[in-house]
Amino acid sequence: MTIKKTAIACLLLLGSIQMSTAQDLLEILNKEQKSITNYVPPAFKMTRVAFGHSTEVRSKGVLELFTATRFWNLPGDRSQSFAADKITTRIALEYGVSDRLSFGIGGTTFDGLFDSYFKYKLWRQQKGEKSMPFNVALLQTGSYNSSSGSIYSGLSGDFSERLAFTSQVLVSRRMSSKFSLQLAPTFVHKPLGVSNQDNKNFFALGFGARYKLGPHLALVSEYYRTFNPIDSFDTYDPFAIGVNWELGDILIQLMLTNTRNMVEDTFITQTRNNFNFKDPNLHFGFNATYVFHLSNKLKNK
Amino acid sequence: MNKSFLALLIILGFVITQNSEKVIARQGQVSFFSYTSVENIKAENNQVSSIIDLQEGTIAVDMLMNAFIFEKALMREHFNESYIESDIYPKATFEGKILNFDANIQGTQVKMIKGVFKMHGVSKEIEIKTKIENNNDSYLLSGVFETFVEDYNINIPPLLAGNIAKSIEVNFKFEYLPYDN
Repeated sequence: MTIKKTAIACLLLLGSIQMSTAQDLLEILNKEQKSITNYVPPAFKMTRVAFGHSTEVRSKGVLELFTATRFWNLPGDRSQSFAADKITTRIALEYGVSDRLSFGIGGTTFDGLFDSYFKYKLWRQQKGEKSMPFNVALLQTGSYNSSSGSIYSGLSGDFSERLAFTSQVLVSRRMSSKFSLQLAPTFVHKPLGVSNQDNKNFFALGFGARYKLGPHLALVSEYYRTFNPIDSFDTYDPFAIGVNWELGDILIQLMLTNTRNMVEDTFITQTRNNFNFKDPNLHFGFNATYVFHLSNKLKNK
Repeated sequence: MNKSFLALLIILGFVITQNSEKVIARQGQVSFFSYTSVENIKAENNQVSSIIDLQEGTIAVDMLMNAFIFEKALMREHFNESYIESDIYPKATFEGKILNFDANIQGTQVKMIKGVFKMHGVSKEIEIKTKIENNNDSYLLSGVFETFVEDYNINIPPLLAGNIAKSIEVNFKFEYLPYDN
């Protein structure tokens, strides 16, 4: 009896050896590859969440033509403007100097602000042996306010007074395949206030989130909390909710927001409307990015 | 009677396990092309691993989708994030059998490989005509086949339907060396 039993056991064992060979092969390969399965896709696809920067940088040799436009209406029942009463546009060129470092330069029509920035990707989110729970990028912007607008008329307006600087540490995490979150501690130095009593240095914290609705479509929202706003008039924290549509070489963002400014130092410190659906507080925002690839990744290798 | 039967079984078992000689390719090359009048897309992966059991003629292939490199950097992001969804389906695998394979034949032979290709969570039975070159201990497998995007449940937005071919040409080349456990 016992021999019979062992014989059956042997047969079964033998059978299983033969049955499992193809499966074993895949398992062997799986073991061989273990070390490189630590890829986590980027938390954001675009270099912006809505109006502010995301942790994303473009690869080396990628040039982006970035246009951001905000439309809003003036209060009043009988506005006769075509489509929208007021429009402001920021046109910028943004370039991937290396796979980690991006440089951008732009100009805004409404407030005559010229700006440039450097963004450096410090860490990339990874799992596995060299696990890294967050994406971290550093952003430094500088802007020059060329406007002679009436609200600044009481100021001397020296060149150095018209410069403003923003430093940000952008920290994001892809929480799941659909949801990403970003925090952005921010320091703004902006001497050009509306009166001389206004703060020159500001601290703020940015919140950004993305929820993917589909393979190419994402819902995004962004908010900046300013801890020491200026005193001479009321300012509000900028907020936006929108969708990002990511298609091939064209990336499109549509949003509703209360800020008409598109550069960090102004939208963080000088947003003069709260978010609601009344004119002139509601701004419709449209960002379109066209991506040029100036280097061929296949030939570089 | 029973004892000799058992002995036979054990011997048979040893023969099978000892003879399962394997060869492995760690840096196999897989590339794919999409030709349309709007745009040509090309991507290469030089980190594909594959293993063959020479006795059984079974073969397995394992590739990481995010290791594909595209001409355009952003296209790689779109590929991983929006089409292949590499965080959910990081790998594509193939397991199958080389039909009528004789590992001892030196030189070139052309064989069909039949098996299941799994990508983007979809398993599909495919047959690939493959050129096998045997030089002593090393084997070189290469071939070309066509695959259809719609078979693998990959979502292409209507606006980009003209940019991505319905049928994708896949090229592969693996060089195998003896594998010791």
